[in-house]
Amino acid sequence: MTAVLPILLGRCEANLGVTVADGAIPDAANLRQAILDDLTELFVMDGSGDFPDELDFYECKFNKAFRALRIDAIRRAERRSKRSIEVAEMPELEVKSMPDAFEDAFARVSDAFKVLPTQEWDADREPILQAIEALPPDERDAVVLVHALGYKEESDDPEEETAATRCNCTGRTIRNRLTRAAAKLSRFKEDL
Amino acid sequence: MSQTLNPSPRALREAFYALSAAQEIPDARLLDDLVRQHPQYGAELTEFAIALAVDALRGDRAVEAAEAAIDPTIVSPAVSRAMSHFQNRLHAVTTSGLKSVSEPATVPDAPNPFSALSRGEFRGLATRLNTNAVFVGKLRDRQIDPDTIPPGFRARVADELKAPLDVVVAHFAGRQPMPTGQFFKADGKPTTGAQQSFDEAVKNSGLTPEQQAYLLGL
Repeated sequence: MTAVLPILLGRCEANLGVTVADGAIPDAANLRQAILDDLTELFVMDGSGDFPDELDFYECKFNKAFRALRIDAIRRAERRSKRSIEVAEMPELEVKSMPDAFEDAFARVSDAFKVLPTQEWDADREPILQAIEALPPDERDAVVLVHALGYKEESDDPEEETAATRCNCTGRTIRNRLTRAAAKLSRFKEDL
Repeated sequence: MSQTLNPSPRALREAFYALSAAQEIPDARLLDDLVRQHPQYGAELTEFAIALAVDALRGDRAVEAAEAAIDPTIVSPAVSRAMSHFQNRLHAVTTSGLKSVSEPATVPDAPNPFSALSRGEFRGLATRLNTNAVFVGKLRDRQIDPDTIPPGFRARVADELKAPLDVVVAHFAGRQPMPTGQFFKADGKPTTGAQQSFDEAVKNSGLTPEQQAYLLGL
C-alpha cells in the first residue's frame, strides 16, 4: 500500500492541478491538499467507520468517484468560507431586443453539453465554460438545469419536477434568470 | 471522509458517487430518481448535479495531459504531506483499536477545544447545536462516552467550534479532568465520575422534548 499510494496520489495531484487551479478557487492549494488527505482517509477507514465500503466506488470507477470527492470538497469549502468562486464582472446589458441572439446563445450552451469532447470542440467549449462559470450562481443554475439537464422551466402539473421546483422558486423567476443569463452569454459570444 | 472539512453524511456521499458514476452529465431523470430516494438532500443533490455538468464541460484532455507529464520517481511535497497524514491517521486508528480491547482509549493531554470559549460563545454554541449549556458542559468535561457520540454530531461540534475534527475527537477520547481547587474528604483516592452514554446525556440534561428527539435521531 505505502509503495503504490504515492503514485496514485501523484496522479490525483496532477488532476487537481487542473481541476482545482490556482486563481479559479479561493485557497486552491490548501483545498488540493485537503482533497488528497481526504483520499488517504478513505484508505485508512476502509472496512470501518460510518461508510466502510466507500472505497468500492473507487475500485469500480476511480476517475468518476474521485470527481465526486473533489466536487463535494469544493462545495463544502465554498459553503464553509461563505464565498463563491470569484467571477469576472459581466456588464449589464439591454435585454429587450435580442431574442435571436438569446436563442443562439442557449443553442450553443445546449450543444456544448451534448457534444462529446473532441479536439475541434475543445477550442469552442472553453469560452462557453468560462461564460457559464462567470454567471451569478442563480443564473448559472437555471441555465444548466434547463439547457444541460433538460428540465422544463415550469409546469402546470404540480407533480412534475422542473427547474423552478429544483430551485424552489417560481417559473417566472427562472425565466428572468434565463433572460439575464442569455444577455450575458450572447454578449460573451460577441466578444470572442 | 475529510479531516480538514467536515464530511457530508454517508447517504449523501453515496448519492454523489451514484450521480457521478451513472453519466458524464446527469440528466433530469437521474437527478429526480436520486432526489426521490433522498428527499432531505434535494438541494444538495441539485447543486451537485449542476456542478457535475459544468465540470464535464472541461473535458479530460487537460487532466490527461497533466497526468501523463508526471514523473513517478519524484514525490511532490503535497504527496509527501498526504502520505504523512495517511501514516499518522493509520497509526492513530490502529493504536486506538488496540487500546479499546484492553482499556478505554484515552488521550491524557488532548487539548480542550471548549476551553477558549467565553460564556456567551459557550451559550451560542449550545444554541447552534440545538442543545443547552448543561449538555455542552458534559461535552466539554468529557462526561459522555465518546464511542456513543454519533459521528455526524462530532463533525457538527467540530464545525461549530471551527476546530479540526481530529482535535474534537481526541478531546472526547481524553481522560475526564479531575476537579481542581477542591478538597476531598474520603477514604479512597478521588476518581472522576462514570461517563454517560450519548442517549443518557440527551435524556438527563434538561433538554426540551424537541431537542431530545432531534439529538436522538442523529
